[in-house]
Amino acid sequence: MSLIDLVVEDIVKIPMTSNDKPDVLRELVQTLKDAGQIDDFDAVLQAVQEREDKLSTGLENGIAVPHGKTAAVTRLKLAIGIAPNGIDFDAMDKNPSKLFFLLVAPPDQSGPHVEALAEIAKLGQSRAFCKALVNADDAKEVVDLMKGE
Amino acid sequence: MSTPKKILVHVDGTERSITAAQYAICLASFYHADLTALYVINTRAMEDLLKARIFLKDEQMEYEHDMEADAERYLNYVDELAVKKGLSITKKSSRGSVHKEIIDLVKADDIDLLVIGELSRIRSRRDEFYDEAERAMRTVPCSVLVVKDEDKVWEMYESLV
Repeated sequence: MSLIDLVVEDIVKIPMTSNDKPDVLRELVQTLKDAGQIDDFDAVLQAVQEREDKLSTGLENGIAVPHGKTAAVTRLKLAIGIAPNGIDFDAMDKNPSKLFFLLVAPPDQSGPHVEALAEIAKLGQSRAFCKALVNADDAKEVVDLMKGE
Repeated sequence: MSTPKKILVHVDGTERSITAAQYAICLASFYHADLTALYVINTRAMEDLLKARIFLKDEQMEYEHDMEADAERYLNYVDELAVKKGLSITKKSSRGSVHKEIIDLVKADDIDLLVIGELSRIRSRRDEFYDEAERAMRTVPCSVLVVKDEDKVWEMYESLV
């Protein structure tokens, strides 16, 4: 399964309205909930929060990849959040994060989870692509960019 | 016409790969071919995630441990599916880059048919979404069968005596 299989307009939140890290996580999980992708909001939030508590997934160049494992999902789930003005996510370069990829997987599907995370890592290496995502006008444009259209 | 003598099915824990395994079991039974099921623990991706600092070291180890357990669980499941149909299979797990491990096994075991699950129906032009099974499909030296339609495959598997 490729990450692209998970990319639909419903799981894209643009622009994000959060002002801080806890709100970002809640907003992304709520996006999954609103899209009908998850039932148990609290369990999914707890899974990603536990990982964030160890060390922030805010990387360099404005990208953050919050992720976690929980039995509250039966398949890999992805939410994408875009904050053009940036939000403090305790990133390693101390700069605000603008592009958020939230991934949640069931504990017994680590293979697809790892491959999806690796695809995001590869995407993150393309500054031009990330810039295009941050400057997207709406969810449709984000999906089109991901598909390379 | 010669028929496949050695079939390899790639199992990665997705429903699509289990459907592929059911189809491979049917094929192996029809053709009296040897069937090998392969699960690759994608250590290459985990190393990349560690380098990208998406993974912590202990997280990498935890996921690796989980994937070892997944490999055993899914290979055992495919084995059970085969045994139900009176077929004996070879289970193999390896570590590394998925498509390279598949290619290496195809060459080492002289596999003549690779069976994989359905690929993404969305064809992104971005290279980052070029998934491992698709990469294997394009580069293995043997023929490749891409299995689709879970319901039909299930019926075929169930009807296998």
